[in-house]
Amino acid sequence: MSRKARLFAISSPGGHWIQLTRLCAGLEQRYDIVYAMPDRHFQSRQSQKVYAVTDVSADDKWRLIPCALQVLWILLKERPQAILSTGAAPGVVAILLGRLLGIRTIWVDSIANVQKISRSGELVRHRADVFLTQWEHLSDGGQVQYQGSVL
Amino acid sequence: MIFVAVGTQFPFDRLIRCVDEWAASTGQSVVAQIATGEYEPSHADWERFMATDTFNRHLAAADLIISHAGMGNIITALEHRKPIIVMNRQHELGEHRNNHQADGLAWMGRLPGVYTARNCEALRRLLARMTELKPADAITTARRQRLIDFIDRAIGT
Repeated sequence: MSRKARLFAISSPGGHWIQLTRLCAGLEQRYDIVYAMPDRHFQSRQSQKVYAVTDVSADDKWRLIPCALQVLWILLKERPQAILSTGAAPGVVAILLGRLLGIRTIWVDSIANVQKISRSGELVRHRADVFLTQWEHLSDGGQVQYQGSVL
Repeated sequence: MIFVAVGTQFPFDRLIRCVDEWAASTGQSVVAQIATGEYEPSHADWERFMATDTFNRHLAAADLIISHAGMGNIITALEHRKPIIVMNRQHELGEHRNNHQADGLAWMGRLPGVYTARNCEALRRLLARMTELKPADAITTARRQRLIDFIDRAIGT
């Protein structure tokens, strides 16, 4: 029996989410994608499995705890082969937990960060298995790679 | 109709006021999504937050989009082939956590179909010639496909 590998895709709402879903649109055929995103205004497409998680940002760090517990539960339940995030704080939570659980982690820094790597990206650049910037000039030829962009 | 949207994270009264006062003086039809802003438009129709379907319906019906310099609205406008004017939030005015919107404005302005304004005056100058603002022909997909293919390989290895 051939089963598609599972991918866990997580981001903040708004621009991070728009970028994440545009990338996942090109991966949906090959992977069973499970999403997580904090947004009360969002309506998912019926074909998308989207978990709601507690919103967290640099302004309300205490919410990291409920967010982390929710993400941990999803990871244990869904057992993804890999984690993909475009940021921001919820993605950091998922990358750090994924590393702890031995799940492959991929970070795509938001295209909005054109002069330097994002603040959330800086927190995981040494921890994600694959760290991608969407700007060629921000690649360091080693750990921080440029391999294309959403636009 | 012109559709103005400021995202869901923060208010952006400077942009909403600028467009609303312009709309009042020109009689233009405007729909605004204003988040938690204190300024309530007197001319434009407005809502604080919109469900995705409502948002997309206004976007599809609009001739022009005006937005904060956020990637979500830029990508969505490009996909709907609508011209978009973006005005950046300013960290110094408490409009965002940092100044990445100001930093990004130069490259955003190089995207086809995207027009940029640093302040209300610049925005009004663009609005004065709004019939000349053209949408992008089509969204370029080569860089996106390259990134998707790389992620696909990265998941497997």
